[in-house]
Amino acid sequence: MWLSLNIISKMVDIKGLDPADIMNRLTMSTAEIEGIEYMNKHLATVIAVKILDVKKHPDADKLTLVDCDTGSETIRVVCGAPNHKKGDIVPLAMVGTQFNEEFIVKKAKIRGEESSGMLCSARELGFSDDHSGIMILPESTPLGTPMSELYSDWYDILLEIDNKSITHRPDLWCHAGFAREIAALYEKTFTHPVNMSLADSFTQKEELNVIIENPEASPRYCGLYIKNIRIEESPDWLKAAVTAIGMRPINNIVDITNYVMAELGEPMHAFDRKKLKGKAIIVRMAKEGEHLTTLDDQEHTLTAEDIVIADGETAIALAGVMGGGDSEIDDSTTEIVLEAANFNPVSIRKTAGRYNLRTEAAIRFEKSLDPEICSHAIVRCYELVKMLIPEAEAVTKIVDTYPKKPETVYVETHTDFIRKKIGQELPDERIVSILEALQFTVKNSSGALHITVPSYRATKDVSIPDDIVEEVGRIHGYDNIPPMAPLVPCSPPDVNTKRLYERRIKNVLAGDCGMIEVSNYSFVGEDLLNRTGTNEDKELRLRNPLSVEQDRLRRSLIPNLLSNITLNQRYHESFRIFEMGRVYFKKDRNDPELAAENFRVAGIVYEKNPAAPLFYEAKRTALVLLDQLRIKGVTMEPATTDLPAYAHPGRCVLIKTGKTVMGMICELHPKTAKNFDIKGSAALFDIDMDICFSAKTADSSFRELPKFPDVPFEVSVLAESRSYGGDICRVIEKSSKEYIRSVNVIGIYEGDPIPAGMKSVSVKTVFAAKDRTLAPEDIDTLQKGVLEALSKNGYKLR
Amino acid sequence: MENKLKAIHSDTIKKIGEVSSPGELEEIRIRVLGRKGELTQILRGLGELSPEQRGAVGKLSNEIKREIETLLETRKEELQESGISELLQKDWIDVTLSSPAKTEDVYRGRLHPLSQIQYEIEDIFTSMGFLVLDGPEAETDYYNFEALNIPKHHPARDMQDTFWTEDGNLLRTHTSAIQIRGMDHLKPPFRVIGPGRVFRYESTDASHENTFYQVEGMMVDRNISVSNLIYFMKVLLSKIFGREVTIRLRPGYFPFVEPGFELDIHCLICDGKGCSVCKQSGWVELLPCGLVHPNVLRYGGIDPDQWSGFAFGLGLNRLIMMRYGINDIRHFQSGDIRFVQQF
Repeated sequence: MWLSLNIISKMVDIKGLDPADIMNRLTMSTAEIEGIEYMNKHLATVIAVKILDVKKHPDADKLTLVDCDTGSETIRVVCGAPNHKKGDIVPLAMVGTQFNEEFIVKKAKIRGEESSGMLCSARELGFSDDHSGIMILPESTPLGTPMSELYSDWYDILLEIDNKSITHRPDLWCHAGFAREIAALYEKTFTHPVNMSLADSFTQKEELNVIIENPEASPRYCGLYIKNIRIEESPDWLKAAVTAIGMRPINNIVDITNYVMAELGEPMHAFDRKKLKGKAIIVRMAKEGEHLTTLDDQEHTLTAEDIVIADGETAIALAGVMGGGDSEIDDSTTEIVLEAANFNPVSIRKTAGRYNLRTEAAIRFEKSLDPEICSHAIVRCYELVKMLIPEAEAVTKIVDTYPKKPETVYVETHTDFIRKKIGQELPDERIVSILEALQFTVKNSSGALHITVPSYRATKDVSIPDDIVEEVGRIHGYDNIPPMAPLVPCSPPDVNTKRLYERRIKNVLAGDCGMIEVSNYSFVGEDLLNRTGTNEDKELRLRNPLSVEQDRLRRSLIPNLLSNITLNQRYHESFRIFEMGRVYFKKDRNDPELAAENFRVAGIVYEKNPAAPLFYEAKRTALVLLDQLRIKGVTMEPATTDLPAYAHPGRCVLIKTGKTVMGMICELHPKTAKNFDIKGSAALFDIDMDICFSAKTADSSFRELPKFPDVPFEVSVLAESRSYGGDICRVIEKSSKEYIRSVNVIGIYEGDPIPAGMKSVSVKTVFAAKDRTLAPEDIDTLQKGVLEALSKNGYKLR
Repeated sequence: MENKLKAIHSDTIKKIGEVSSPGELEEIRIRVLGRKGELTQILRGLGELSPEQRGAVGKLSNEIKREIETLLETRKEELQESGISELLQKDWIDVTLSSPAKTEDVYRGRLHPLSQIQYEIEDIFTSMGFLVLDGPEAETDYYNFEALNIPKHHPARDMQDTFWTEDGNLLRTHTSAIQIRGMDHLKPPFRVIGPGRVFRYESTDASHENTFYQVEGMMVDRNISVSNLIYFMKVLLSKIFGREVTIRLRPGYFPFVEPGFELDIHCLICDGKGCSVCKQSGWVELLPCGLVHPNVLRYGGIDPDQWSGFAFGLGLNRLIMMRYGINDIRHFQSGDIRFVQQF
C-alpha cells in the first residue's frame, strides 16, 4: 500500500520532519515501510521565471534564444517551442533537474548557442498531455518559486507499506490510521478529516430503504441518495492524489470514492440511482446459481455463501468485493446512491478467493473493518462531492441500517503487568500518556487501568491486556528495553535420545565411513517412481502439488538418491552419499488422523570402474554403522526374490534383527542403472532407523581376557559355486558351541584343478577352552567334529 | 709376545674391514675380546710375565683392545647405515599417493550444512537448559494453525502458503507446530527447541524454496518478559556468528505471539553501514519472535495468568546463507555433493 505524505499532512502537521525519519519511526513502532518514492521529484528544481527577451537563433529557424529572469539572475536558454513571448511567466527546469533515469537537464551548446536550462510544457512537467507549447503560468506568480510549491498536489513523497505487516491492523489500511500513529510517535495533534455536523443539513426528500436480511453477513449499511450529479474529470488535486496512491483517475465520483477509501479506510461504492429498480437496497445472501456481471465485465455464477447487494429485482454488486456492471455510473449519470457498509470478513475473504477478485475493497473488509467509519465515509464523500459539484444535493438523510453495533471494548489491566511483561521499569504516567496518544481512553487508579479501546482498534485487534503491552512497548520503543537473563532455577535439560541417535548415525556415516550427507525433497513424482520401478501408486498425494515431478510424498529415500547418482557422476568418478530423513505412509497410521512417518537412513556407493563388486563396500559400511549402534543379534540373509525392482537379485541381503527386517543392502539392478543413465556401478543400503532405535542393544560388559591358548584349524572344502560361505561357517559353528571361538572363510579358489561348477573354500576355525589348555585329545575330537559336520552336510574335503 | 699381539692386531683390523653384516662383526668380537678371546687370554696371562714385560705387554694389549673396540663400533654403525639405504632401495613406495595407484582415494565424509548448523544450535540451547523436541512433518490443521491462534479463514493463513495432502492434512509450514505438541506433554516451567524441515507452497527460485529448515524455540516460566527474549536472542546470535551482533526488535504480526516482533540484525556484510545485501538499510530481517499469546498457552493447557513465555522461529537455510555468502537457496536440496563438500 502506498501512503501519500500530502494526504497525511492534512491530518497531522509533518512540516519539517525528514521523510526518512518518519519511515524509520514507523518501521520501528508500527509497520514495515519498504521504501520511499518521490512523485515528480523534478518539480523541486523547476522554477517560475519571467521571459525578458526572445531572439531568433542565428543558426536555426525553429529555435529561439530566451533570456529568463529567475528573480535573482538572468539565464539564457535555447527553446524550440512556438508559443512563448516576452513577459510570459514560464516554468524553467534548472541545470541538474532530473526528469527520469536518462533525462537530466545539462548545460549545453545547441547549434553554437549556450543553453543553461529548459523551458517546460505541461506534459514535460507531468501535469497533462499538453505538449503544444511552453506552459504559461499566471502573471502573478512570484519569480523563482519552485513548481513543487506552485503545484504541491503533484509533488508528493510516498511511503510503501509492507501489507503483510498490517494484516492485523484494519485501522492502518488508510491514511488516517498512519496519521494517528505519526501523531502519537511525534507527540503531535491528529485532526480527523470528517465534519459530521454536515449531515445535519440533509433532508429526506426522496425514499430510499435499506434492508439487511442477514446481520451476520452485514452488520451495517449506510446509503445516501444524491441528485444533480455531473460526471466529469476530477480537478488536479484529486487526480494527483489518486495517482499518488497508485490508482488511475477515472471521473470525479469514482475518484472521490477511491480517495475516501484511501483516506478513511472504508471501501465505497456509487450506484447510478436511475439504473436501480425499486426504492430499496437489499443486502442478502446470493441465490445458488445467481448470475452477476461485475465492473470488470466478468460474469460470475454465485453461490449461497456470497453476499450480494440487490435492488428490487437482481443482484447489483458482489458485496465488499466489486460493483456490478448494470448499475455502474457513466457520463450520463445524474443521480447516485453512495454506499458505505460493513461485511463479514470471512465471507468476503471466501468470496474474493472464490472468484479470484482480491480487490482493494476485499483486502480491507477481510481484515475486520470498524463499522463506525461507514457514516464518516458517507459524510466525507458528500463533502467532496459538494466541493466539486456545488449544485449536488443530498435528497435523503443517511439511510443507516445498523443491526449489529459492536459493543465497546474495555481492557482492564495494571501497570505492574505491563512492566512485568516488558521487563523494564516504566513510570505509570509514561504508560498512560502513550495509550492516550494512541486515542485510548484511560482511567488510572493507582496503576489499575480501565481502558476504553477506540472502535477502529476494537475489531479483532486490541482486546486483552497483552495487546496493551504491545501498544506501550512499541511506542516506548523496543530498542529502549535492555536485555536481561531470566531468573530461573538452573537444571540440566532432559535428553531427546532419538534426536541424539539420529546424530550418532550421521556422525558414523560421515565421520567413520567417509560419506557425504545429502538432503533431498520429500516429494516424488510418477516418472521418477517408474524409473525406480516402484510405482505402485501407494504414496500420499498432495492436493495442490507444484508440479507433476513433486505431486506425492516419498515412501522411500531411494528414488531421489538414485537421481543424485545421475547428477553427481558427471563430476566425480566415485563417491559415497547418504541421506537421513522421513518417508510417509498413508496407510499404517499411528495417529488416527495422520499418515505414518518413518525415519530412514540410506546410503549409496558409486564407482565408475569398481575393482570389486560394490556390494561388499555397501555391506561393510552398513556393518560399521550397525556395530557402532551396538544393535544386538543383527543377521544378514541373502535375498533373491520379492525384492524391489532396483535391487540386483544376485547381490542383495536383508538386514534382520530376530525376524524383523530392518533394512536391505544391494547392488543396483542394471536395468534401473540404465533408467537413471548411470554409467558406473552403484550399491546401496537402506535402513529403518525407527527399528534400529527400538532394537535391543548389546550391553557392554567385562569378560576376563582368555588365559588359555587358541588352537587354529584350517580346512579347505569343495562347495558348489553358487553356495554361501556363511553356510559353511554355520555348519562348523554348530559342531561345538562350547569350544569354537570363531569360524571365518579365509579364501575362495575356483579353477584348475577344482572341477567346473565347484569352488574351494578355505575356512579357519579357532578352538579354545575357557578353563584349561586344550589337550591333544580334545583337539583331535574337535577337529573330527568339524570334519564330520562338514561331510554330513555334503561338503567334501580337498 | 709382542709379535703375537701385533699379529692379532693386524689380522683383526683386516677382518673387520672385510665383514658385511653385524653378525660377522659380533663373531670377531667374541673371538678376540670374548671371555675366551685371543686378546683376553693374553691379558689374563700377564701375571705370569716378569714385571718389566708385564708393564710393556699390558700397555700394548690395552691399546690394541681399545683400538679394536672403537673399530668394531665404527664398523657396526657403518653397516647399520648401509642397511637403511638397502631398505630405502628395496621397500620404497610413492608416499605422495593415497593408494598404490591413485592420489585421491580418501572419502572425506561431510555432514550437510543444515545438519551442522542444527547441531550447533541444539548444543547452544541444550547448554542453556533447553530440551530438543520433534514432531511430524505431515501435520494436522490443528497443530499447524488452529492451536497457534490462526483459525480457519484468518488472513494470516495467506502468509504461509500451504501444501495440503489428500487426507485433509498439511505439510507443516513452520516448526511452531512442535511448540503445541510439546505443550501437550510438558508441564511448565520448560524450555524447548524444535528443529526440523518445513514446507511452503511456493515456486522455487534463488531465494524461495518449497522445503527448508527452521528451529522453533519456546520458554515458559513465571515471569518471562520481552527483555528476557532479547537476552536469549543476543546470546544465541553472538554464539552462532562468533561475535557480538547488533540486533533490533520491531513490531511484527504473528497470531501466536503478543506482542510479536521481527528481529533484525546488523548486516554482517557491511556491519550496518548499508550495502546491496541489506538494500542500503544496514539491517537484515532474521527471525520472528514474541511473547507467547495467552490463547496459545491455553491451547497447550497452560494457565496464562500463572505462566508466560517467549517463542521464536529461526530459518536455518537463511542463517547458513548469511554465514557463508551463499546466493541460491536451491543448493540445499540439490543433492549436489560439490555443494556439501565445501562445509
